[in-house]
Amino acid sequence: MAKTMAKRQVQIRYSRHNMDYILLTVVLFLIAFGLLMIYSTSSYEAGDKLGDSAFYLKKQLQSTIIGFFGLAFMIRFPYKYLQKFDSLAIIISIVLLFLVMTPLGVTRNGARRWLNFQIISFQPAEVAKIGVIVYLASIIQKLEGLGKNVIRTPKGITIVMIPPTIIAALIYGITRNMSSAIIVMGIAVAMLFVAVPDYKWFVAMGAGVVAMVAAVVTYVSSSDTTGAGFRLARVRAWLNPEAYSTDEAFQTLQALYAIGSGGIWGKGLGQSMQKLGFLPEAQNDMIFSIICEELGLFGAMAIILLFVILIWSCMVIANKAVDRFGSLLVVGVMSHYAIQVILNIAVVTNTIPNTGITLPFISYGGTATLFLLMEIGIVLNVSKGCK
Amino acid sequence: MTAKKNKKRKNRNVNLQKVKTIKLAVMMLIILLAFAGLGARLYILTRDNRNDYQKRILSHLDYNSKTLPFKRGSILDANGTILAASEKVYNVILDCKVMLDDEKNEEPMLAALSECFGLDRTELSRYVKDNPTSQYYVLKRRISYDERQVFEEHKKAYNEQAREHNAKADGSEKMGVINDGIWFEEEYIRRYPNNRLACDVIGFTGTDNNGQFGLEEYYDDILNGTNGREYGYLNDDAILERTTVAAMDGYSIVSTIDANIQAIVEKYIKQFNDEHMNEEREGLGAYNIGFIIMDCNNGNVLSMASYPDFDLNNPRDLSGYYTQEQIKELQEDNEAYYKVLNELWRNFCISDTYEPGSTAKALTLATGIETGRIVGNETYECGGLLTVADHDISCNVSSGHGTLDVGGSLQQSCNVAFMKMGEAIGVKNLVQFQRIFNIGLRTNIDLAGEARTASLVFSEDTMRAAELATASFGQGYNVTMIEMAAAFSSVINGGYYYEPHMVSKIINSNGDTVRNIEPRVLKQTISSTTSEQMRQYLYLTVAEGTGRTARPAGYAIGGKTGTAEMVPRDKTNYVVSFIGFAPADDPQIVVYCVIDRPNVADQPHATYATAIVKSVLTEVLPYLHISRTEEMTIAEQEEAENLLGNLVGGTNKEDGNGDGSADGEDGNGEGGEDGGNGENGDGENPDDDSGKPFYVVDPNTGELINPDTGEPAEMNYSYEGNGDNNEGDAQTPAGEGGAQ
Repeated sequence: MAKTMAKRQVQIRYSRHNMDYILLTVVLFLIAFGLLMIYSTSSYEAGDKLGDSAFYLKKQLQSTIIGFFGLAFMIRFPYKYLQKFDSLAIIISIVLLFLVMTPLGVTRNGARRWLNFQIISFQPAEVAKIGVIVYLASIIQKLEGLGKNVIRTPKGITIVMIPPTIIAALIYGITRNMSSAIIVMGIAVAMLFVAVPDYKWFVAMGAGVVAMVAAVVTYVSSSDTTGAGFRLARVRAWLNPEAYSTDEAFQTLQALYAIGSGGIWGKGLGQSMQKLGFLPEAQNDMIFSIICEELGLFGAMAIILLFVILIWSCMVIANKAVDRFGSLLVVGVMSHYAIQVILNIAVVTNTIPNTGITLPFISYGGTATLFLLMEIGIVLNVSKGCK
Repeated sequence: MTAKKNKKRKNRNVNLQKVKTIKLAVMMLIILLAFAGLGARLYILTRDNRNDYQKRILSHLDYNSKTLPFKRGSILDANGTILAASEKVYNVILDCKVMLDDEKNEEPMLAALSECFGLDRTELSRYVKDNPTSQYYVLKRRISYDERQVFEEHKKAYNEQAREHNAKADGSEKMGVINDGIWFEEEYIRRYPNNRLACDVIGFTGTDNNGQFGLEEYYDDILNGTNGREYGYLNDDAILERTTVAAMDGYSIVSTIDANIQAIVEKYIKQFNDEHMNEEREGLGAYNIGFIIMDCNNGNVLSMASYPDFDLNNPRDLSGYYTQEQIKELQEDNEAYYKVLNELWRNFCISDTYEPGSTAKALTLATGIETGRIVGNETYECGGLLTVADHDISCNVSSGHGTLDVGGSLQQSCNVAFMKMGEAIGVKNLVQFQRIFNIGLRTNIDLAGEARTASLVFSEDTMRAAELATASFGQGYNVTMIEMAAAFSSVINGGYYYEPHMVSKIINSNGDTVRNIEPRVLKQTISSTTSEQMRQYLYLTVAEGTGRTARPAGYAIGGKTGTAEMVPRDKTNYVVSFIGFAPADDPQIVVYCVIDRPNVADQPHATYATAIVKSVLTEVLPYLHISRTEEMTIAEQEEAENLLGNLVGGTNKEDGNGDGSADGEDGNGEGGEDGGNGENGDGENPDDDSGKPFYVVDPNTGELINPDTGEPAEMNYSYEGNGDNNEGDAQTPAGEGGAQ
């Protein structure tokens, strides 16, 4: 007994210092690198059009500092309290999404995706992502508490999956932001995948998605779809970028040129030519292509490696987490990062059609930075309690 | 039971843990596979497309080069007065593509254009709408620096305001800015500050700094510089760098022409024209009036003028000579139109040939003395007619001159006497000395368009008795004015034949001398004793003979008149002329005036020419600080007063005594400056009458300014002029003009 006590004390004491510093280091490096690349990519356009070459850098630095407060807060905040937020997280997310339709909503760059509360403005879709993670972690754990297979009953599936689906639908319906909708659904599926022992549903679902993609591709490439919506146009541009080089595929092609021209070692930091007005707003979705151009294949691979380390660390933390809720939270965050990084690089390399997905920690964007850092805070918080 | 339950829970936990571990591993595997796939994709993209994509990127970089125009050199007169200069102007260029970077820019930019340059707003909008990708559209040509500055200031002020606004506003409320979609292309245009002055000598420039006629054409290569270039290139690391190679401005030339003398000359030939306009026939006072003043001791041409003249800033303007309907009619026939223009542009003094007439007698006599065929004590009997090879060739006085000695023959300009001299000289000597005097050869004066006269003079084979007879008094062969002036200079300056030239110095854009053009003595035509003798004969010709009317009051000059009957020899059309030098004892300048068919009822009187020469010399000699040496009669004094302004009587009397004349002369000159009596008010400027220059040279700018007002001499710039002519036409006459 005494022995167990001692062991437990040791364990607890040890756990306080168990925070995953590797993860933190990787994130800090990515953020610093991101700021550097934002300055590199945006300085020309910002200087040209706004008269201040450090305009984007300054704004991103601001949101990064706010993000660090969020990070510090989430590291200390007992994450177990988040369990109570299950349905509340969903309700808050839905309410915020609907608020976009009210005068509080703001249109920027031609898309109505922002909420402006005077002091702070942000994208509710980003809130929804973290809301879905919290909701799923908490509801899965609760359902599991009711019985081993409750979650696998149709009712259980419904309770788990319907709210994320609604949110994804709202994100797409209200803000016309398909990428965020995909990410929300992806996070939900990934968390469910880890939570249940089954494979066949997921395999079937995967097969279904592949079949749908194939159908769309066949449809687009076989029939004349000129005049169809911009989503289809993007698919068309994806399939044959050279043919739409001046319109839909312009950005994609310019990104490809940037990647291709970088070579193994790149042109050197700051030497990108594509950022000189040819790849507009390169600091957003397309920043990875400028990384490829300036730092080459080598730099791109190094960044991918850092993301792998980050995701790997998350996986280890998820595996070692002492409680089910914390573990699931980490799985949610991990899948969020993984999906976003993979989709971003896939878009930049024209592996999938163009959707506006940013590269975590590196792309320019205030809301995303804040919530990504808060998510990291949650993961680090969980890591403190690891075995 | 509890234990079992515990175990079960534990079991379930273990199961969940296990499932989680496996599932996480599977998920990680999928993620790693995805990354591996993307990595492979990146690698393949780079490997397969590197060169292709690199080229594509390089291809849309801006290495298209931009030409930086050079500044064509100026043409200055001997005093540094600017006769021709290039001035920087700007073309307003619209780049729709750059402008429409942000559609909000269109509004303020087009507004700025219509506000600053007075362009039509709706037309601009239409153009932008139709050509949104156009990158080079010239909105306005040749605006001045000041006009450009108006826009630049507007742009600066507006952008400042927009920036302030945009710092606060976001999204759709942002204001557009004025960006680089409007830019200015530099260009130079040629300005001739003195408009018509020395137009035939200076010539003008067409598009692309293409000099036409006169100095502009002859010194085209020297006046033109090399265009600079601004271009981008890729350095060793395939990084774009931009470089500027500055333009090399052309050299300026300093002419021997003196704008003041030129102005005096042009005033009097214009005056002659105005007096005789429409007198006998419709049209100008003469078909052509040419006038040359040359420094006989170095070949420097001080003035070369011909009438009709034209405005260098608007060389196509025919309105002074034709009515609007006539011009319109002319323009329909391109060939006729350019024929008329070429007639106007060509320099009579070097491009047109004519029979010199009696002025050539000076050359004949010099030949006779130099060859020893005339020793000076010969006498000639003139009965008004001489029969040579069955031709009756009459003298200028049909009743005959009676008996004349050598000097008298020249003084009376007796054709019969000269035919006899010609006979004594012989064909061989006469032809040989024509070559020695460069008659029939080009003088190689540095002006474009000098005529060839080789086929228009006699050779030993073509000159028979009758030709010898007529040639000895200057008929039957053709010369140009400059040939005569250069040959005559050598007759009176001691026998030195100087190549006539117009440019004394070439300077670079900093004003440093690049090359001095020294006078060139080509040969000794006659001995100095012959020359001295000739000076004496010619002095007497003016003092006592036919040239009397050419003598300006107070001066002793030498010279010879000429009245050449034109072909057909029907005693209607004549070229009257006078060639002379001053002062008689120490020749400084040679003057030559030719009037081609004066518009009068009775043409064959050299007095038309001598009158002009007299007026010109009366003003020019004091200007050149050549003193009066001769006594002046009351009448002459009055006449000089009329021409030069009030003279101070006391000083004048001293002049008559021949001493202290230099002082008196200066006094006269200065007296003229403040005077300006309006009696002979023929000029535009009341001060035209003074013996001093019309304009004084502004020491700062080198431009002529009106001493009364302090304003620059009237500069009426309108190079583009005749709106009917597009620029393509402007090129056409270039070839024609140079082909003379």
